[in-house]
Amino acid sequence: MGNLKIGIPQALLYYEYFPLWKNFLESLGAEVIISGPTTKEILDLGVKSAISEICFPVKVFYGHVMSLKDRVDYLFIPRMVCVEKGAYFCPKFLGLPDMVKSSLSSLPPLIEPTIDIRKSATSFKNSFLAVGKLISNNSKKIYQSFYEAQKSFHLYLQSKENELNPEIININQQYSTKLLQNNMKNPLNIALLGHSYLVYDAFINLNLISKLKKTKINVLTAEMVRKQDIERKLKRLHKPIFWTLSKKIVGSAFYFLEKRIDGIIHLTSFECGEDSMIGELIRQESLKYPTVAYTEFVFDEHTGEAGIDTRTEAFLDMIIRRKRYESNHT
Amino acid sequence: MKVTIPNLGNLASIAGKSLLSNLGHEVILPPSNTKRTLDLGVRYAPEYCCLPLKIVLGNFIEALEKGADTIIMVGGWGPCRFGYYAEIQRMILKSLGYKFEMIVLEVPRGNLIRILRYVNLLRNKQSLSSLINAGEIAWSKVVAIEELEKEALRIRPRENIKGETSRILKKGLSLIDNTNSIGEIERIKQQIIDDFNKIKVKKNKELIKVKLVGEFYVALEPFVNHNIEEKLGYLGVEVERGVSIKPWITSVFSLNFLKVGYQKEKNPIEKAANPYLPQSVGGEGQPTVGNVVLASEKGFDGAIQVVPFTCMPEIVAETVNKKVSEDLDFPVLTLIFDEQTGEEGLNTRLEAFIDLLKSKKYDRHLTARRLAS
Ligand code: SF4
Ligand code: SF4
Repeated sequence: MGNLKIGIPQALLYYEYFPLWKNFLESLGAEVIISGPTTKEILDLGVKSAISEICFPVKVFYGHVMSLKDRVDYLFIPRMVCVEKGAYFCPKFLGLPDMVKSSLSSLPPLIEPTIDIRKSATSFKNSFLAVGKLISNNSKKIYQSFYEAQKSFHLYLQSKENELNPEIININQQYSTKLLQNNMKNPLNIALLGHSYLVYDAFINLNLISKLKKTKINVLTAEMVRKQDIERKLKRLHKPIFWTLSKKIVGSAFYFLEKRIDGIIHLTSFECGEDSMIGELIRQESLKYPTVAYTEFVFDEHTGEAGIDTRTEAFLDMIIRRKRYESNHT
Repeated sequence: MKVTIPNLGNLASIAGKSLLSNLGHEVILPPSNTKRTLDLGVRYAPEYCCLPLKIVLGNFIEALEKGADTIIMVGGWGPCRFGYYAEIQRMILKSLGYKFEMIVLEVPRGNLIRILRYVNLLRNKQSLSSLINAGEIAWSKVVAIEELEKEALRIRPRENIKGETSRILKKGLSLIDNTNSIGEIERIKQQIIDDFNKIKVKKNKELIKVKLVGEFYVALEPFVNHNIEEKLGYLGVEVERGVSIKPWITSVFSLNFLKVGYQKEKNPIEKAANPYLPQSVGGEGQPTVGNVVLASEKGFDGAIQVVPFTCMPEIVAETVNKKVSEDLDFPVLTLIFDEQTGEEGLNTRLEAFIDLLKSKKYDRHLTARRLAS
């Protein structure tokens, strides 16, 4: 079938799954075209084509779809429903392909596999195999591509986990003043937590990661926390969380709080249903750890760089002042 | 144990109360929703959470102030926020220093000991048969309330003397509230329906018919939706509700095996939604779309969708409805509600929408007449 051009918007779950999607489609011989990092034009396109009440990240997604649609034969927009027992994606992911088709016209056909492991027909594997059949009629090759893509995906996830500095992993859970003093010389450890499409989209979060790194800050993310540690921390909740993406955010927030890193910034988007609830969970938990600074940055299409810069500086200043004070008084 | 439950139209204060007091509990209902309820909720709830959470939190605060010590709330397991409401409210109330127990009714998952304790607290040492009896009475009240409200929606736009329907409805509801026998509930219902039918109506009035769809709580709680059903009635619009508490009760308590009548109706709604939204997205998202499609087929003039600001399922539905409305040439008005929603703005939008429906209807008649001649 030659080189089928399949477009993947670089937004939303791209940041969770792209190695899997891309490797799978490419090894089947498709040409994968990614919309690329978010830009001002993309954002404007998205804001213009989505209804105004929808959450900011979905608007960004719309922009990416718009920028791709005339360049590809197919758009790859899976419907992610459920990938683990007892948890879902947010309703907007459940209806994502339908929303896109309803609001945007002259789209190329969508490849929209449903991933819902509660039914075997839509398990991860079966859904992917069905997608493979659209591209190739060699079922052996489809199988192989799927397993290889999955393998490389797990390696990718693991490599992320390995990025966590062993010192942090080994920090005793007990409060230790010695550690604080040591840390004064070391760079600050700050966790950026939130949906991966906020944390890793430098345009949306106004380059927060690279700005922090420039000031010699050790930036930590949820991907660096081992899955079993996240699950263990979540056990502490009075009621389990039923959103896959939020579980990761809350579990890693609890983890970093317990490790008493220097600070946590929770990146949230205005009008996000999940964030409004888990923000409260994390905020309340953070009150139990007075040495860990906690703040929340809310992003939408109007968030200005100057505002975020000022708030970041104030946050860092506060941490440094607090640490000075504490090391002088111990 | 002094128990309380959140307000929800006439349902909680009549049927919910009946269930609990028949189980021998002292029931302390929150005061009716007022500006104060809303203000309390807004002050203490997370800023960006959806409106129902805030108002229900306000209910709980006001009920605790009145002396309640046990809160009964409904739970769930996603994918929309509702399933986590109780948990967030519990945390907030605790952090405000209130002493209370919260009983969350939901399909158990995990912590079985906690669930058993809840069940025992609720059951209050009553025998199984009195438990069933209490349940049956409450259920009959739910059925009667919904049926009378539905009838009122049909009569109100036709009434000659403004307010007649609402007056009779109110009388009926208070009679239902004060009885405790299933036979009596049935009799009151019949009598009120008869009374409705005796109301003097305007002759030959061709009415605009509108389907009311959207998020469950906002659709059913008049304080929040500024009495939208009555307003529409007085504008001469016959309203049909797209939401009902019945399927909701059965799903929350996993009573689906009861095979209550509505279930036969449920599938057509999903089926109608299918070409546009084949996936359930939690809350009323998919039914909202399905109901709009069905309403257009059944000769309604338009639909009104009520949405709490940032509501996840309804925003999916709103997006999809844009397309439905375009494809079927069927007007849908989406109304977003938050703590700032003012009555005047709402009135203006409703009137404009109804005017649009009227002129559309008029045009259709003209074309029909022209075709006929
Ligand atoms: S999780 Fe939040 S930000 Fe992501 S799609 Fe859902 S509502 Fe939007
Ligand atoms: S249906 Fe909407 S308003 Fe209701 S709880 Fe869910 S997200 Fe909130």
